Amino acid sequence: MSLLALSTLSKAFGERQLFAIEQLTLRAGESYALTGENGAGKSTLLRIMAGLEVPDHGAGRYAARNFDWKPYPDWLRREIIYVHQQPYLFHTSVADNIAYGLRARGIDRREREQRVAQAVVWARLEHLRDTPPQKLSGGEKQRVALARAWVLTPKVLLLDEPTANLDAESRAQTLALVREFCGPQTTAVIACHDRDVIELPHMRRLHLAGGRMATEGNTESGE
Amino acid sequence: MANRCSLLRRQSKAPRVLNLLDTTHQALLLLFSGDPDLWGIVAISLSVSLIAMLIATPLGVGCGYLLASVDFPGRRVLIVTIQGLLASPTVVVGLMLYLLLSRQGVFGQLHLLFTQTAMVIGQVLIALPVLIAFSLSAIQGADPRARETALALGASDSRVAWTMLVEVRFAIMAAVCNAFGRVISEIGCSLMVGGNIAGVTRNIPTAIALETSKGDFAQGIALGIVLLVVALGVNSAFAFFQGGARR
Repeated sequence: MSLLALSTLSKAFGERQLFAIEQLTLRAGESYALTGENGAGKSTLLRIMAGLEVPDHGAGRYAARNFDWKPYPDWLRREIIYVHQQPYLFHTSVADNIAYGLRARGIDRREREQRVAQAVVWARLEHLRDTPPQKLSGGEKQRVALARAWVLTPKVLLLDEPTANLDAESRAQTLALVREFCGPQTTAVIACHDRDVIELPHMRRLHLAGGRMATEGNTESGE
Repeated sequence: MANRCSLLRRQSKAPRVLNLLDTTHQALLLLFSGDPDLWGIVAISLSVSLIAMLIATPLGVGCGYLLASVDFPGRRVLIVTIQGLLASPTVVVGLMLYLLLSRQGVFGQLHLLFTQTAMVIGQVLIALPVLIAFSLSAIQGADPRARETALALGASDSRVAWTMLVEVRFAIMAAVCNAFGRVISEIGCSLMVGGNIAGVTRNIPTAIALETSKGDFAQGIALGIVLLVVALGVNSAFAFFQGGARR
């Protein structure tokens, strides 16, 4: 079943056309590895889907409901979560960072604490619960960002190179979390160069090259 | 001959040094004796400046945030104007306000001239450019991922604004300290629109100027000490919070 469908989506920076995608359909519960050269527009595409950038042209449809890019609808922001390549953590504790989205959704304190506790365990962050983010390593920050997204049980998860610039151990830990996250309840799009991410089980592939979206392997979605 | 000259110089300086010590001693006595006139002036100064800051801070920080976040025609001109107003002499602000509040002025019928309310308005006008310009600069200098992360996690516009202000809280606190330092020590505007009326609009800077012109240095020094302690206290509190957060 189609969850998120984008059509005639184009984006240019000045004279340079970054991409023009005829049709991109993401099916519910499937995971996609978005590959392409540096500068192909992978991050920009994810940011457009997350409502952080506006395309020059294009139509969007989510769960059989059309939406505009500007203003990006609030209801859609609650369905789609985007995680930066180098995640930003607010200047508060790890637990408060994880609770941020729950607070924004008006979840009451008791339930919030319960869900944060589950997320802390899920991301193996028990020992860092009250640590300020400036004291965390790159891998730990990535795990906090994943826990912060996981706790919101998003319908669509957009990850921008989650294993880039991490040492081997942090990479393995992050990869394990990504694998767990990409379950049947979540549609995930992961921009990456990492073969281990691309070859995760049930991962479909989207390839952005020359401004066009190509499909490879067992990918059924795409243009 | 040279020795004699230096001896004379030393003799002529000695009483002055003694006078300064005496005056400081009298000033401290005034302070610790709980002189009602002196502490009345301190109370007026603090209450006027604190009320002004309570009004100006949300207004200035809010305007700074909006200027940093919302694009509209004329925004650049407005920013340059506000940055220009940072250097505006307080006496000019006082003059403008005087013209507005005087009997023939636009707001003359409100009878606010020579009242604490007029002083508060003046100090709000003096603090606003500082608060707006510093907040604007703090928000513009913040990591753009902070805003994007808040949005991506589903925060409403007001929550995003609050999150951004919390993220740059030390820069905002520095802006508040700076603005408070400017209003508590300004004399031009308070003198123009307050009128330096004893027990009503006489604050620390106007009282220091008056007492010094009358030759009553003890009260001037006592008030100067209070002003310094307040300034040091505010800045020390800021440094304490900033240091605590970094530990």
